[in-house]
Amino acid sequence: MGNEILYMLGVVAVGFAVNFALRALPFVLFGSSRRELPAWVGRFGDFVSPVIIAALVVYSYATLRTAAGAPCWLTPWPYLAGALTVALQLLFRNPLASIVAGTVVYMCLLNCGCRTVVNEVEYDIDHPLIRISADGSLYFKDSPVRDPNELAALLRKNNVPKDATIYILLDEGYNDQRALWVLRHNYLTRAGYPRSAWIHSRRAVSGRPEEVGRSLGGSSTPYERVPRRGTETNFRR
Amino acid sequence: MGYTTMGFVAGVLLAAKGGLVLSPLWAFLTSSLWVTGTMSIAGVQPISERAPLYAFAAMTLAVNFRYAFYGFSMLSRWRSAPFARKCYLILMLTDENYALESSCRIHEPKAYLRYCTAISVFNHSYWIAGVVAGAVTVCLLGFAVDPDTIRRHTNGMEFSMAALFLVILTDQMKGLLRHGK
Repeated sequence: MGNEILYMLGVVAVGFAVNFALRALPFVLFGSSRRELPAWVGRFGDFVSPVIIAALVVYSYATLRTAAGAPCWLTPWPYLAGALTVALQLLFRNPLASIVAGTVVYMCLLNCGCRTVVNEVEYDIDHPLIRISADGSLYFKDSPVRDPNELAALLRKNNVPKDATIYILLDEGYNDQRALWVLRHNYLTRAGYPRSAWIHSRRAVSGRPEEVGRSLGGSSTPYERVPRRGTETNFRR
Repeated sequence: MGYTTMGFVAGVLLAAKGGLVLSPLWAFLTSSLWVTGTMSIAGVQPISERAPLYAFAAMTLAVNFRYAFYGFSMLSRWRSAPFARKCYLILMLTDENYALESSCRIHEPKAYLRYCTAISVFNHSYWIAGVVAGAVTVCLLGFAVDPDTIRRHTNGMEFSMAALFLVILTDQMKGLLRHGK
């Protein structure tokens, strides 16, 4: 918290200094003397500012993300909302109305429609993407994977961010720790997914009642988190 | 009026997306010292990512580069202003203030300076009120509603930065085209 306050004080100071310096620049350069203003200054400003702002538009589009962290510029939504913003600004010249309308439309489009366009999957602990059955066969979202090399490609195809924790569901009876380690280290970490964890499934037949039959997140196989030292390893550490 | 509403949006954004403690305090400091709507909205993302200060400075420089050209047309008109007041007017040289001050028809220097100062003080206070009100609203809401819910429902709000740049670009292009004719 102390760090955060220091950081924000720094941000405030830096923002103040840069803003004030920019605004004071003409007065510092030409304020005291009665020097004539070179004509190119105005032309330069007219030309450079739009170029910078255009670059910022591109930058802000490139950083748009969905809630799951997938890039948004591949979808049509920011362009539709952007076209609306520009059109409103040209028609009514009310910056606030244009910005708010564009943003609200974008939020609606993003939260209602984006999922249908960008292939997004849930990959939290309630929805493990990878499953290993008792006999050691590998599944990605319930479809069998023959070659573990395909895992990284599948994760990429489903827009799973690289820093997400990849949960691996182990069926009851699977206990080949070495194969599991090889899978995580060779096929996930080396392919750019350094964070992975495994969880155990448990058949809902016996056991303590509060643990059994609790279907998490609508998953068809009830299982529970098995707290265990070293369940989650960050290989990059 | 536009200032207060825009400030409210910026304040909400800072408090909801910045991930800060004491966000009303930061809302007050940024709004009173920066006085730039663009950076108040565009700066939220680097703040939430805790970007290094030099990156933040570079971004401010790029985003607000246009301010460096506003002063040129004020040089001669503010020549008679006392130093402290000149500093305040320079700090307040925002898009809207510039538009009002440069299109003002008052030629008598003293009256003109009074006009500029009044506009600056009023707009400054509207702006601060808007930003702080936005941040306080989100903070109070944060006691009643789970912050995660707020984050989920403000998903996509970062488009306001892109929209702001689009609006500025549209206005600048329009100005350029009119200039060229």
